[in-house]
Amino acid sequence: MTNSNKKPITIITGCLGSGKTTLLRKLLKKPELQHNTAVIVNEFGKIGLDHHLLKKTDEKTVLLNGGCICCNNREDLENELKSFLSMDHNKDASINRIIIETTGMADPSPILFTILTNPLLQHHYYIESVVATVDTKNGLLHLKNNPELVKQVIVADKIILTKTDISTLEEKEELMRQLHRINPSCEVHEAIHGDIGIDILKVDHQSLSISKIEAEPLKIENTNHYDSNIKSISFTFNSPLDWTAFGLWLSALLHANGEDVLRVKGLLDVGEDGPIVLNGVQHIIHPPEHLDTWPDNVKHSHLVFILRSIEPMDIEKSLKSFQFFLGTDIEVLELITAL
Amino acid sequence: MCILCGEFVMQIHWTDKTSTDETEILVGDLQRTRMRTRLHRAKLCNKILSYYRLKLEDWHGSKFVLRDLKGNQEIVHDLGALWGTAEKMLGGPINPLDPNLLQQIQEEQNLLRNENK
Repeated sequence: MTNSNKKPITIITGCLGSGKTTLLRKLLKKPELQHNTAVIVNEFGKIGLDHHLLKKTDEKTVLLNGGCICCNNREDLENELKSFLSMDHNKDASINRIIIETTGMADPSPILFTILTNPLLQHHYYIESVVATVDTKNGLLHLKNNPELVKQVIVADKIILTKTDISTLEEKEELMRQLHRINPSCEVHEAIHGDIGIDILKVDHQSLSISKIEAEPLKIENTNHYDSNIKSISFTFNSPLDWTAFGLWLSALLHANGEDVLRVKGLLDVGEDGPIVLNGVQHIIHPPEHLDTWPDNVKHSHLVFILRSIEPMDIEKSLKSFQFFLGTDIEVLELITAL
Repeated sequence: MCILCGEFVMQIHWTDKTSTDETEILVGDLQRTRMRTRLHRAKLCNKILSYYRLKLEDWHGSKFVLRDLKGNQEIVHDLGALWGTAEKMLGGPINPLDPNLLQQIQEEQNLLRNENK
C-alpha cells in the first residue's frame, strides 16, 4: 500500500529533560514545517512552544480487553487526530504533517497501536518515524534508572543524542555502544540545542541495509547492564523467502509471544525487484512497504528481533525448523545477549 | 462488511496488504492472482496446522474455514483471527517456539530427506 494520500506522523519521545521540546521548537522554525505541521504535546515543560497548530492533550489510555500493554487505545490522541483531520477537510487549516511529542514517561507503542488500528485514522495517517532523544551527558544514568527509556529506544527508528556539547567523547561513545546493544537497527544522530535538519523526520531505509551493518564491526561483551532480559538477534537469508510463509510464521509467533517480541525490523528479499520493509512493535506490525529498489543496491535480506525474556536461540531454532517452509537458508548475523 | 456472514471487517491484516493501493481486487485478471495466493496460503497453513490435526480450507475466496477431526468448524477471516480460533479449538496454545513442535518438524524433515536419498 502506498502512503500517497496519507499524512505522515512523527513521534518524538525521550526522557524528561532530554531535549524533546528544544528539538521540536527548532524544527518548527524551519520554513518547511512552519505552516503545515500540526503538533500534539502531552505536557508543557519549561521551554515554551509557540506554534499556531498546537494542541495539548492529557494522556488518556483506554484499556482494552486482552491485557497487553501495547494494545491500548489512546483516546486523547484519537480525538485530536480526528479534529485535525476535519480541520484539514474543512480547509480551516492545511495540514500535511503531524508531530506528536510524548511525555518523558510514555511508552510509544500505544500511540502506534491507536493510529494503525483505528478504522478511521489508519486510512488517513501513517507513522513515518519514531524519534527518541537521549541526553548524552546523563543518558547512561537514565538507561539504568528509567526502564521507559529502554522501551523508547527499542521502539525508535532514530535516536538523537542531545547535549553533545557538554559531554565528553568517552561518554558519547559508551552511550552509543549501549544504544546499539539495545536497538541494533537504529540510526543515531547528534544535535546541539536541537539543531538538526528536517530530514530527521523522514525515514530512509539506509540504516537497515546490510552494508551499513557490516561497516561497523561490533564486539559482543557481556558487561553490566540494566535489563538482562532484553536481547537481540539478527538474521540474514541466502535466497529469497516466501513472503506468505514468512507472514504465517511471524503472525503465529506474534500471536503467541507478541508481548515479548519488542521489535521486529528488517528488509526482506521476497524475489521481487525491491525488498519488503518489515517494521513491528510487539503485536503491532506497520503495513509492510514494498520498495522498488534496494538501498545501496545491495541485495541482501536482513532481519532483527529485539526480545524480552525469550532466548534468541529459540527464535533461531524455530526459523531453522521452518526453513523448509520459508524456502531459504538462514544464517545468524549478529547476536547480542545480556543487554 | 462481509455479506455472507454479517461480520464487520474493520481491519486489514498486515499479511493481506499489498504493495499497491489496490487492496481490493474486484474482478478481472487479478482475481486469479488473488485466488492463487489464497490457495497458496491455505496450503502453507495446513503444513503447520497438520501438526495440530487441524485443516484450513479456502471458502469461496472470501473466508477460510478451519476444521478439526471431530467435525468442528469455524469461519476465519484472516491470519489475525486464525491462530486465536485454532487455539480455541485445540484448547491449547500454538507457539512456533514450542520445542515439541520444532522437534516434530525436524524429525519429519529428516525422514523426508532420507527417503529422497
